[in-house]
Amino acid sequence: MSTRPEETESKENAEFRRDVRAWMAANKPAHPGFKLPQSFLEVESERQFEFLRAWQRKVYDAGYLGLDWPAEYGGKGDPLKRQRIVSQELNRAGAPFLVNVIGLQWAGPTILAFGTEEQKKRHLQPILSCEEIWCQGFSEPGAGSDLASLTATAEPTADGWLVTGHKVWTTLAHVAKWMILLARTDQAAHKYAGISYFLFPMDAPGVTVQPLVKMTGEGGFNQVIFDQAPMPKSALLGQLGQGWQIAMTTLTFERGAAEGTGGGQATPSESSIRAVVDLAQRVRREGRFAAEDPVIRDRLVQLWIQEEGLRLTGQRARVAGLNMDDRPLATRLMNKLVYSELGQNLTEFACEVLGPDAALWLGDPCAPDKAEWPRAYMNSFGVTIGGGTSEVQRNIIGERVLGLPKTK
Amino acid sequence: MSTKSSQALRLEVPTDFGFTEEHALLRQETRRFLNERLPMGELRKLADAGIAFDRGLWKEIAELGWVGLVLPESMGGAGLGWLHLAILLEEMGRRLVPGPFLGSLLAGVALREGANDAQQARWCPGIASGDLVATIALTEAGGAFETSGVAGTADPVDGGWVLRGRKTHVLGGADAGLVVAPFREPSGAVSLFAVETPNAALTAERETCIDATRPTARLSFDAVRVARDARLEGDAATAWNAVLVRGCAAIAAESVGGAESVLLTARDYAIARKQFDRQIGFFQAIKYPIVDMMCGIELARSLASGAAAALDAGSPGAETLARMAKAHASDVFANAVRKGVQIHGGYGFTWDCDVHYFFRRAMWSRAMLGDAIHQRRKLADVLFDR
Ligand SMILES: Cc1cc2nc3c(=O)[nH]c(=O)nc-3n(C[C@H](O)[C@H](O)[C@H](O)COP(=O)(O)OP(=O)(O)OC[C@H]3O[C@@H](n4cnc5c(N)ncnc54)[C@H](O)[C@@H]3O)c2cc1C
Repeated sequence: MSTRPEETESKENAEFRRDVRAWMAANKPAHPGFKLPQSFLEVESERQFEFLRAWQRKVYDAGYLGLDWPAEYGGKGDPLKRQRIVSQELNRAGAPFLVNVIGLQWAGPTILAFGTEEQKKRHLQPILSCEEIWCQGFSEPGAGSDLASLTATAEPTADGWLVTGHKVWTTLAHVAKWMILLARTDQAAHKYAGISYFLFPMDAPGVTVQPLVKMTGEGGFNQVIFDQAPMPKSALLGQLGQGWQIAMTTLTFERGAAEGTGGGQATPSESSIRAVVDLAQRVRREGRFAAEDPVIRDRLVQLWIQEEGLRLTGQRARVAGLNMDDRPLATRLMNKLVYSELGQNLTEFACEVLGPDAALWLGDPCAPDKAEWPRAYMNSFGVTIGGGTSEVQRNIIGERVLGLPKTK
Repeated sequence: MSTKSSQALRLEVPTDFGFTEEHALLRQETRRFLNERLPMGELRKLADAGIAFDRGLWKEIAELGWVGLVLPESMGGAGLGWLHLAILLEEMGRRLVPGPFLGSLLAGVALREGANDAQQARWCPGIASGDLVATIALTEAGGAFETSGVAGTADPVDGGWVLRGRKTHVLGGADAGLVVAPFREPSGAVSLFAVETPNAALTAERETCIDATRPTARLSFDAVRVARDARLEGDAATAWNAVLVRGCAAIAAESVGGAESVLLTARDYAIARKQFDRQIGFFQAIKYPIVDMMCGIELARSLASGAAAALDAGSPGAETLARMAKAHASDVFANAVRKGVQIHGGYGFTWDCDVHYFFRRAMWSRAMLGDAIHQRRKLADVLFDR
């Protein structure tokens, strides 16, 4: 008896998977001929963005996005399993990533959980269709890991708030229509209690978006300066002062859901392991193929084992009885830490396999795979730092999962 | 017999791992029994007295159905699957259950996969009931586990066989009533033989094992005469492959349990112990290794459960997963005991601290049935050369 997923899932789901697969094969766009970003973190040019936006739109129009969101908000009201199948098939087909990740994976689910009926009706469908891009204004120059020390403020006016402050490392802000924004609404209150959560319109006056250049030389994130930028009353999500709690929900989606979005260079999957095998079979070191070097073979197998272990951990997280009863959340909370570090190890290893040619950078005509590997290794730090650093993840796991004393 | 490899790169495991309420119940009951029957104090008593095989305990776990867990009901077993076994072994690993359990388990696998009906009917019921302690000789001097390393010989004589060779690290080798072992015939083919003991030409010398809970022995076959039907009449290559693969899955699951105990012990100590007016778990140089220990264990647990579920489903990726599980669980357990000692400081270096019992188990388990280096070499062949 064989156990490919299509054979262990229901007849309807298997049929659905077949349909999605066929659709991907027929509709996956050809490479546009210009450099594409490796993930949603590195979208810099207009044409990159438009290419990716058109692709997400196409996937949505085909009925393959928002499957698990309620129909009244542009979704289909199907079980989550359906959306998971689409994600798997997107990955499998090697299709471009969905550019509105912050909307789809972080802002959208948070709005579903905390939004008013009006907010859900207003915001969710344009996230799916990619009409409205979202960004996340949490971090500030003085508030990264210690996010709760943020100082951006929202001052009440007759019909809303005025925002003043400075957000930084804001991915996709240069193309975003909306921002999930954390701002202080009560200076007197306790550090955590004084924060509120807003759905901020990026086209408001008083907003300046300045691109930042990454260590790779690419763009993709920005700093955003707010100078008395107005937003209406309807911008508040949840209750006043509930911002910290809602932000933690967003971060849970961000860290847990990031796996398998078909997005990142540093989200390791069987295909990324395959890609390094393929590389080792092409690259020669000291007169023989890298794939024949026992040390290289051993190290790649170590990474493969971890990749499979992580994949099965994602699968096991959904089987309650196979999780430790004293730490039911362990398998979910460790996801971000493990995949980001594995992605970093894998891309660094690929650079080692390359030998001297790892020193060739974007634009060099002889750079293997157009210098994708050193670029991916550098970009992997976006994932071990963004969304809460690996160190912060270890604090969280140590304290919340294992009950170790708090580092404050 | 050549080492037959049925490894595949498709490593899919049934979505729910085939997990049922029955599995949850088995875990619950196993944990309850071992908490009462084998608290650390009791295990220490046995280990420190050099009792690696406690026949009383063996009888009890046989009556609970553990010894025959995966043997079919028609042979007195419980007829359960490998996910059941993985859960049982994880719990046994947490408590360092002593005895020849793995030897008996794998002798059963060899018979089921490599013996004819009459041979199975002759020995399996006794194994399932625990009355016949059986074992399997997995390695010879030189440390080979794959069949290519079998140097012991079987020569046909007067309608029977004469067996010669030395086998090492045999679990329960000095206690077993039946030893299954591979020998090479004059044709070069390797066959499995089931040798009943006592036999005057078969001597067992107890080893001083680093892990006092493992009753291991060196066996000398000095022209052991056995009847014709002592040779298992099935496909020896298939049987041996099944023993290796299922043995890897079994040791992996048991190692996950052992590592889990070390994790909890280290965690508790990091909370209880204070230095510089703080709980030492406050220091990230203590906290992070404990977190990394946990992450490693969770991956190993996924691989071990995945391998077991794949075996239950007959999935073609089972061998690959079992080898991955063995490799990773070996490393994870070894890392856990290493950090485990360090985190306990001077106390960790004493006999009084429990960690060294797990340290010893980790040293044994990582080395048996092919260590991580060996498994990864086999896996590399799958990854690169299919
Ligand atoms: C590619 C990328 C995209 C990003 N996108 C966004 C975005 O869209 N929106 C947004 O709001 N933010 C974004 N960020 C910001 C990101 O969330 C922060 O960079 C991150 O939380 C770390 O904060 P920091 O940079 O201030 O580093 P710091 O907090 O100053 O940390 C510096 C170092 O100290 C360590 N450290 C800090 N505190 C502790 C502690 N308690 N224990 C142990 N070690 C500690 C950190 O791990 C790190 O190694 C992005 C970042 C990157 C790299």
